[in-house]
Amino acid sequence: MNVIELRNATKRFNEFVAVRDLSFAVRQGSVFGLLGPNGAGKTTSIRMIVNITAPDDGEVLVMGRHMNADLQPHIGYLPEERGLYKKMTIGDQLVFFGNIKGLDSRTAARSADDWLARFELSEWKGKKPPDLSKGMQQKVQFIATVIHNPDILILDEPFSGLDPVSVGVLKSAILDLKKQGKTVIFSTHQMEQVEQMCDDICLINHATKVLGGSLKEVKGRYGRNTVILDYEGPDDFLTPDFVKRHNRNASYSEILLQDGADAQEMLRRAVAAGVRINRFELVEPSLNEIFIESVTGSKALANQRVEVGA
Amino acid sequence: MKKVWAIIKREYVVRVRTRAFVISTIASPLLLLGLALLPGLLATRGGGERHVTVLDQSGDPQLFDLIKNRLEPHSASRDDAGDNQPQLTRYVLERRVVQANENIDDLIKSDYSASGKKDEDKAYLILPAGILDGAKPEYRSKNTSDFGIRALESAISQAVTARKLERAGLAGNKINDLTRHIELDTKKLTAEGGAQEDGGMGFIIAFVMLFFMYMTVLFYGLFMMRGVIEEKQSRIVEIVVSSVKPTEMMMGKLIGIGLVALTQIGIWVTSVALFSTIGISIFASRGVSLPHIPMSMLVYFVIFFVLGYFLFATLYAIVGATVGSEEEAQQAQFPVTILVVIPMMIFTTVMANPNGGLAVALSMIPFFAPTLMMLRIAVISPPLWQILLSMAIMVVTILGAVWLAAKIYRVGILMYGKRPSLAELGRWLRYS
Repeated sequence: MNVIELRNATKRFNEFVAVRDLSFAVRQGSVFGLLGPNGAGKTTSIRMIVNITAPDDGEVLVMGRHMNADLQPHIGYLPEERGLYKKMTIGDQLVFFGNIKGLDSRTAARSADDWLARFELSEWKGKKPPDLSKGMQQKVQFIATVIHNPDILILDEPFSGLDPVSVGVLKSAILDLKKQGKTVIFSTHQMEQVEQMCDDICLINHATKVLGGSLKEVKGRYGRNTVILDYEGPDDFLTPDFVKRHNRNASYSEILLQDGADAQEMLRRAVAAGVRINRFELVEPSLNEIFIESVTGSKALANQRVEVGA
Repeated sequence: MKKVWAIIKREYVVRVRTRAFVISTIASPLLLLGLALLPGLLATRGGGERHVTVLDQSGDPQLFDLIKNRLEPHSASRDDAGDNQPQLTRYVLERRVVQANENIDDLIKSDYSASGKKDEDKAYLILPAGILDGAKPEYRSKNTSDFGIRALESAISQAVTARKLERAGLAGNKINDLTRHIELDTKKLTAEGGAQEDGGMGFIIAFVMLFFMYMTVLFYGLFMMRGVIEEKQSRIVEIVVSSVKPTEMMMGKLIGIGLVALTQIGIWVTSVALFSTIGISIFASRGVSLPHIPMSMLVYFVIFFVLGYFLFATLYAIVGATVGSEEEAQQAQFPVTILVVIPMMIFTTVMANPNGGLAVALSMIPFFAPTLMMLRIAVISPPLWQILLSMAIMVVTILGAVWLAAKIYRVGILMYGKRPSLAELGRWLRYS
């Protein structure tokens, strides 16, 4: 069953189209990644889902109904660049955020205590945000999002600015919620997190969808056209007629082949060039590659469209 | 409604708990007390003792005695002086007879340098030879802007008159009666034509009322603006608006902060009321007269404050919703703040002729009514219909402002980046 569905949703601000004809569906109990470069329309899409703005055209369905105020308590929303009330203690503001989602104060306080204990923040309950580190504040903001035990979690860039330990804690909390049957949508630039957590993705660029579906399916579409190569020696053999892109990491290179290029042929050339090879592996492209490929590709397409229009 | 209540509660509790609230709640009545007491204190404290060397060329020792009697409290009671004005300066007079061939200027110079110039309050009074025939007495002192000089002047004038009357053959005991100073008893005319004790303090009450109205409306209006900006800057607004309607959020804030203001004003009004009943009698027994503030005026103050607060806090909420930071707000708030400040610049016009057409018209303008109508209520008793009309105009304006704010707020709180132009603001109205 689809918990959230956008059907041809369009949102304009004056002449500017923030989201154009966007459709996607989020399955119940899944983790859904909303991807795209800055300014692609992710935040506007999310705002339509949480009923902060309404689409000009198209529909937004939440739990099978048109989005409305009654459905808001089912959603927990963590905005991007979020903050907390500076002059309020952590405990008090968590209760407040519970209250405006319809919780009574006692339930909200109990839920806040549980979550603070889980994130090892119990001793900070009586402190105010300026006393907390940025990472701690972000955890508190996450608690504010889940305090009313919502069925749907919408997280805008939840991991940005967090240290690896905090990312781990937050990730396991999100996956736990998923186990409880909650649906999670998050937007991010960090493709690594998406690969580890998402079942489905939707990639938007320039207000329109460029890619969507289950992560496996999307990657499968690209085939095994990427070579992981660990080698010693000159890289002259990686000629552009053969190689579309070459990302050199510290210990290995990630080489995206041109369409129709044969990986075995590349291996032959490397050996012929006298390069010593420690590792050769044919893999699906990383999501990072797909992201860059799609975004730059669609930009080229958009440029073409402009030229035709002109 | 439960959610709005949560917002009201938050706004209230967070603000009432702050140290700033506690301090301003306590400090302001003290300031008020100071303003009220100041004239009384000034009167009793006085300008200290002033030694005046009287250079007497009149050749009339009795004239000097008469002046001295009227000025020095041990020899002349205030009743006898017939002057209700409290004496600001206590004069100590010392007579020095000056012969006709002596030069006054040289005399003063040598005396002044002999005193070592240390005595700041040293003063000279010259009684010329023909003083009873119209020659002018002269007063020389470092400080000539002293209010107390009037007392000196009046004493000389009375003494000269008394001596003239005596010269004309009038008996000494009749003279005191004839030269008694007439005191004007000022009373305030009420709406019904009755007379009301004024005590000369009407001005002070009016000014204190005006000042407090201005301060509280501005203060709490800016509170509202800052609150909106804080939520917008920290993006908390997105969390709140994903839970409640933007209009509900705005109303919650307006009411919450309004209740904070009413709590503060409630404490003030109560303390003023207590002060009026208990304090005044205590101070009166010590000879310090204090303004009595009628209860009806306090009630009007609360009503006009509530109206003024809602109007300006709503306007400030609009400003807060259209800017991205406190710095931007500095500029953007100007048109609203000027509306609060204008009455403070023109109130003297209203004070000069509080029942004139201009004053009535100005006090009907909704942005000025809280201050200027309050001022008129404090100095005169405007007809009830005028008070009610200005309230009605304010209520209508508030409804309009809230309608406008709700629309702009909804779009504005989610807009980041460039501050919108007026034309863009107009377009925002159509979005929602």
